[in-house]
Amino acid sequence: MKDVNDLIGMLRDQLGLPVTAEDAARHLDQVPGWDSVHVLWLVTVLERDAGRRVSLADLLEATSIQEIYELAAA
Amino acid sequence: MGGRAVSTATGSSAEATRDIEPGVRSALASFLALNAEGRLAAEYPVVRRLVAGLDGEELLTAGRLLSRLDPEDVLREHPATPAVSVAITGHGTLSMLVAPLTAQLARHGVLLRPTVGNYDGYVFELSEPGAGATEADLALCVLDPMVVFDEIPVPWRPQDVEQKLAEKVALIEGLTARFTAAARGPLVLNTMPLPRRFTAQLIDHRSRARLGAAWREANARLLRLGTEHSGVVVIDLDPLLAEGVAAYEPRVGVYARAHLSPDLLAAYAREVSHLARNRVGRTKKVLALDLDETLWGGILGDDGVDGIEVAGTFRGEAFKAVQKAAKQFGSQGVLLAAVSKNEAATVSRALREHPEMTLREEDFVRVTANWEPKHENLARLARALNVGVDSFVFADDSAFECGLVRRELPEVAVIHLDGDPAEHVGRLLADGWFDVPELTAEDRTRTEKYRGELVRSDFQHSFDSIEDYLRELDVSVRLSAVEADDVARVSQLTLRTNQFNLTTERLAPAEVQALADDPRSLVLAVRSSDRFGDNGLVGALLAHREADGLHIDNFVLSCRVFSRGIEQACLATVLEHARDTGAGAVFGTYRRSAKNGIVADLFPRFGFHRIGADDAADQPDVAAYRHDLATKLESPSHIRLTVELERQSA
Repeated sequence: MKDVNDLIGMLRDQLGLPVTAEDAARHLDQVPGWDSVHVLWLVTVLERDAGRRVSLADLLEATSIQEIYELAAA
Repeated sequence: MGGRAVSTATGSSAEATRDIEPGVRSALASFLALNAEGRLAAEYPVVRRLVAGLDGEELLTAGRLLSRLDPEDVLREHPATPAVSVAITGHGTLSMLVAPLTAQLARHGVLLRPTVGNYDGYVFELSEPGAGATEADLALCVLDPMVVFDEIPVPWRPQDVEQKLAEKVALIEGLTARFTAAARGPLVLNTMPLPRRFTAQLIDHRSRARLGAAWREANARLLRLGTEHSGVVVIDLDPLLAEGVAAYEPRVGVYARAHLSPDLLAAYAREVSHLARNRVGRTKKVLALDLDETLWGGILGDDGVDGIEVAGTFRGEAFKAVQKAAKQFGSQGVLLAAVSKNEAATVSRALREHPEMTLREEDFVRVTANWEPKHENLARLARALNVGVDSFVFADDSAFECGLVRRELPEVAVIHLDGDPAEHVGRLLADGWFDVPELTAEDRTRTEKYRGELVRSDFQHSFDSIEDYLRELDVSVRLSAVEADDVARVSQLTLRTNQFNLTTERLAPAEVQALADDPRSLVLAVRSSDRFGDNGLVGALLAHREADGLHIDNFVLSCRVFSRGIEQACLATVLEHARDTGAGAVFGTYRRSAKNGIVADLFPRFGFHRIGADDAADQPDVAAYRHDLATKLESPSHIRLTVELERQSA
């Protein structure tokens, strides 16, 4: 992932979420179609992409797509 | 959501069949392209074919995307698509079950209408009538080890677990009894895996053994629920775990309280999908097997009868295992057929004379050995057996033959047995294509009956007229009120029969039992026999009384006994019964499906008149009929008819 837009693309293509770049900074409660189950799926997708472990506990604490990106890219 | 599991089908044969060539683009890439274009609903028949070719992570990705789709959008575009409502309840977080279940059902072309209950909501959701679960086509109560361990204090001893297990199993037994009394569809339970993260906390082996024994005893009690209640299916997770699926994924377990691993949920979803398939009447009936390198090692034409490997050698033992598995299927009502590119006489000699052959000619409903394309042989066999090709599973070692059948007959399930023959059995069994909730007496003798049918058809060709033939056939029909022993078979007939099925209303055993117990209802079993033997319980007629007369709710007849006047004998009996009991008229409904065109004119043929045709515009697939009882319908003279409309056991 180069930037948060890659994560947005991943959410659209792998999880089927209708998200756009504008949703990156939104609180996850305000992101259309968001549900905590997406984080559970996302961790596998992110780990496969990054080739390393990403903390699920931290991802579950994240409040926006931007924060998720930062955790995954860190 | 309370709709019955009816595969309402308007056979829109103009369904999109945009050809997507495998090989040009991977199935997943094609699927993702359709998703990106927002065309998953519009192209659902193509989507189904693409998904059928996926597995593992790819299938899961497709499932996640498909689970975002509204089933109603698909039904608007393709009204013939069968849909199943599934209530998901249990102890842990179960939202991760929806994607794999959506994907597994999509492989079979079945749409999922899921309702996921609340965390740990199973006690309430199963005991509250009308809470949704009782109205679903299938109710899944997903049990996990934390049902027990969440309530065990620390420190604990094996006897604490014993006590809690007894409590929980008693609770589930109570819930099951209450639920099955109220529910339409079956309840699906499962055994609970015993995690090492608990057994290993006991440091002495004596305690560990005690815990293990108590745990297995509790699981055995759960499994016994599936043998005692006709409305309960218990999925044993042990065989899935034994294949190497992890029971637990620590992170989703600890952080999300999803107590069964996503991989185990995916394997569980695969098992459930075959129950769903059965619920919409799409269980497979025929296993068509190639011979060379599928049922035996070697090429019969080159190696000769003595040269093929069917036992004894390393590879021979592998093929013997395949033959034994096929024979086991055959003994339970799966029709075995051999479809091979070979000389017929040599194949016949191999099956008859090879001393070590497990499968013999009589195990097959038909052995087809010729040089025709296999899809043509399969289509011909389907016509001869009077079943749809969509009830076929085809297994072959050749990529060419598999590809050709997939391409020409996409509704056939194809199992490619490439690779090591030691793996063939596992591949044959990977999907429960033939799974049913329970077997009936009919299943045990099905091959024999269908073979008899093929003999009857030869016999028929020796007569000049159909009347002569029917007289010589010496048909007996017995029409009787359904008894407890008939319930499973009557349910199965509503589930398996697609052609002679007036409304395609599928009924679970519990639903048949409820109707049989209702004093307003008339549930009749149809049995027939002829000079070639007993056909068994071949049909059912369901009706109920109202103030204006007797209403026929459905009439199903096995395709084995079509065109013998049996339907006329049944209708004549019901009309006479209506007249004798003072009913003013008899009403009937025909609901068109993709496959029941054969009975479209059944009611008018026997003196019923169409009613309500003027306001039928909003339901073009449904036609209502009325018989005023002014004229008498005679039972055909060639049929010996016995009628017992009173139940022997009330």
